[in-house]
Amino acid sequence: MRRTARPLTATAFAVAAVALASAPAHGASADGLEVSPASVVPGGQVTVRAAACGDGGSATGDASAVGAGSLGLVPDAHGQDATGRFRVPPSAQPGTYEITATCGGSGRLVTGDVVVTLTPVRGQVHPRGSVKTGVGGALGPDPVQTAAGVAALAVAAAGGTWLLHRRARGDGI
Amino acid sequence: MRRFPRFGSGVRDPANAAMAAVTVFALCSGVWLLRNGAETHAPPQPSAAQARAGLGGLAGERPAVPALPPSPPDRIRIPAIRVDAPLTGLGLTNTGSLDVPPAADENLAGWYESGTTPGEPGTAIVAGHVDNADGPAVFYDLGVLARGSTIEVDRRDGGVAVFTVDAVEVYAAKAFPDERVYGAARRPELRVITCGGGWSRGTGYQGNVVVFAHLTGSR
Repeated sequence: MRRTARPLTATAFAVAAVALASAPAHGASADGLEVSPASVVPGGQVTVRAAACGDGGSATGDASAVGAGSLGLVPDAHGQDATGRFRVPPSAQPGTYEITATCGGSGRLVTGDVVVTLTPVRGQVHPRGSVKTGVGGALGPDPVQTAAGVAALAVAAAGGTWLLHRRARGDGI
Repeated sequence: MRRFPRFGSGVRDPANAAMAAVTVFALCSGVWLLRNGAETHAPPQPSAAQARAGLGGLAGERPAVPALPPSPPDRIRIPAIRVDAPLTGLGLTNTGSLDVPPAADENLAGWYESGTTPGEPGTAIVAGHVDNADGPAVFYDLGVLARGSTIEVDRRDGGVAVFTVDAVEVYAAKAFPDERVYGAARRPELRVITCGGGWSRGTGYQGNVVVFAHLTGSR
């Protein structure tokens, strides 16, 4: 058993190495089909996003190359990119497979690659470090409140002037 | 026919009385707005009481429930701090840190879509801005979230994953505990991350507020 296990392990490492070298976490290109994660183990789920189909457009995806059949891509929660998911069959062999999608409106064909690996790469793509989720915009003076305050004081000044004028003219004050 | 001015009598004139009331109100509200607008509004930071208790402190928490199948999330709700925001997919930056949602939309959070989906076994990660250039954003109040609070995640399969907060911690960016925040977990867990830890003009926020939660229900 050990004799067969060793070449298999070596193959798995080689595949994983190729996958790591060739595929970023997102198989993204500006006008293609974004495949996420770009590397997946057999049985894993893959999300595809067709930004090229434009806002609100749906698309029909084809993942039959990897044995997952066709899938529908619908606009996500924000009504922007058409997004769909498929599951790589547990029997899929390691390799690179082309996933295609046809935009619903324009009929445009976009493609992206998914790499099937035998070793999960998920453990290697945890985020690192802190997250840049603020610029301090809540800390400075609030320009809206300041402007509203200035406007309110202008109203007060106008009102005061009007009252003083009426009093100077003797209109009842 | 000229009337002689008599001090005070004119306030009985309805127009004068209305104008006087408007003037006084505008003066007061103007002063209040200017004072309030000039103050700084730093986001609240978690206290020591919200931090993760020692190893023995997890005994009293709600038991975990069976994990859910993978399904991407669409929305996050944290009723205690009035959060109800859509979720967008996030990747990684060139440096390997978690990317962030577009800052312009103050009510938008994101999830790490190459990782665990909320509800399946492992550590699902959600991040959102504490503020943007215009003021407070979706996770401004994350620092006051109490242990035991509920976080709900709407999933695309139609279900809702319900998480209970275990701890709220603040970490400096220089010594960020990657394994503790992002590391794998056997049960379904959730992290909700925003900026925090003090702010300076030169370097911005010094770190992150991180909420630790685990799955305690679904519907």
